[in-house]
Amino acid sequence: MTGLVLYARSRALPAALAALAATAVFAVWAAGRLDAYLDPDRRVPIVALAPLLASAVIGTSLYAPSDELDRTAVRPWWPRRLAQLLALAALASVLLAPAVLGHPEVFGPPAVIRNTLGCTGVTAAAAAVLGARLSWLPAFGYVTAVYLASSGARGRAATVWAWPMQPGVQPGAWAAALIAFVLGAALYAVRGARAEGPRG
Amino acid sequence: MSSLRVTGLSVRHRKTLALDSVDLALGTGVHGLLGPNGAGKTSLIRVLATVARPSGGRVEILGQDSADRRGRSAIRRRLGYLPQEFGYYPGFTVREFVAYVAWLKEVPAAGVPAAVERAVARVGLADRIDARIRTLSGGMVRRVGIAQAIVNDPGVLLLDEPTAGLDPEQRVEFRELLRELGARATVVVSTHLVEDVAAACTEVALLDAGRIAYRGTPEALTALGTASDGPGDHPIERGYTAALRAHRGPGAGAREAVR
Repeated sequence: MTGLVLYARSRALPAALAALAATAVFAVWAAGRLDAYLDPDRRVPIVALAPLLASAVIGTSLYAPSDELDRTAVRPWWPRRLAQLLALAALASVLLAPAVLGHPEVFGPPAVIRNTLGCTGVTAAAAAVLGARLSWLPAFGYVTAVYLASSGARGRAATVWAWPMQPGVQPGAWAAALIAFVLGAALYAVRGARAEGPRG
Repeated sequence: MSSLRVTGLSVRHRKTLALDSVDLALGTGVHGLLGPNGAGKTSLIRVLATVARPSGGRVEILGQDSADRRGRSAIRRRLGYLPQEFGYYPGFTVREFVAYVAWLKEVPAAGVPAAVERAVARVGLADRIDARIRTLSGGMVRRVGIAQAIVNDPGVLLLDEPTAGLDPEQRVEFRELLRELGARATVVVSTHLVEDVAAACTEVALLDAGRIAYRGTPEALTALGTASDGPGDHPIERGYTAALRAHRGPGAGAREAVR
């Protein structure tokens, strides 16, 4: 068995892939019940919540059970960490996009991809600061707060702080999500997930 | 020749000074690291393992400077480390876990299966090599930890409380393994169990409040205990207490009695 396979298993990546696939199936099923062809705005819950679930799966997969031993690895960790995060974020984007096909200018695939990248960035940063097990919490809190608070919000500032609720073509929302992704990915790649005690 | 040399080593954890200008040079053999809780044993082992960065000083292992990135990689290739608590993915078997560490240490892929089997056999777990680690007893898990530390035939082996959780028979076997490993490598064993040191170590270093309080052979420490009337059931325990008190100064015994 090669080292990379053992690495993937040590991060429980098979379970993470299954959870991402289940999230995608759930998103497709839920989107099909919204009659979104009548009004694409009905997709907002899917566009906001499916990336949030996917980022939670990605965040918990960043847990390193043998952190102390991992720190004695001969090779630097940042390329492996970055590769894992980018691969999972790309896979989540590809899997979730079919749930909201069409209407790219409002709540279609671009909005889902943007939110997946943004939520993954926030979650990766949280894994570096709080630890992987609780990494889902800040993104969950932020997206929930924005979901509840942004309905009447208008203006340029709102397109930035309320990025998870913006239509797919909104440049401010894309900028905010991409900055979150780049900063979160860089922080996680450099520092790794914060050390936590053994599971259980 | 010293395979491990530390000069002016300081480690600070926020406001606490865990190691205070420690100088140490160790060669081939088994070196016991003794000291009370909080003396800085684990801090020293973690710096030697290149897991923690020192606040000051220099660490040279196997001729390489651990502050240099390339030097650190070269050290890690030839370093074995058993932390006090090592985590493992619960789904791993003994074979998979030890192979994972061999991969971290860049053991050539072709040699990994044989190296894993050899390391597991040396700790007496050959019959459980395909068992999941989570199904093993605490003592067996500790032995898995020792197996991963020796999978790359390390030149320097750092063991932090390796005998915790081992039963008396396993400890006797482990001391034998230590003596065997110490014939070719520099082994540093941090422990609270002075009888392990007496039985298996060629040298002892006693740490107290981040400084080296005593260095010598286990026999010299035992002789110190024979000559002193300090507390302890065995001469080496009395020697341990006497060396600590001598380091702390003449008032230390009285101060501790008042506490």
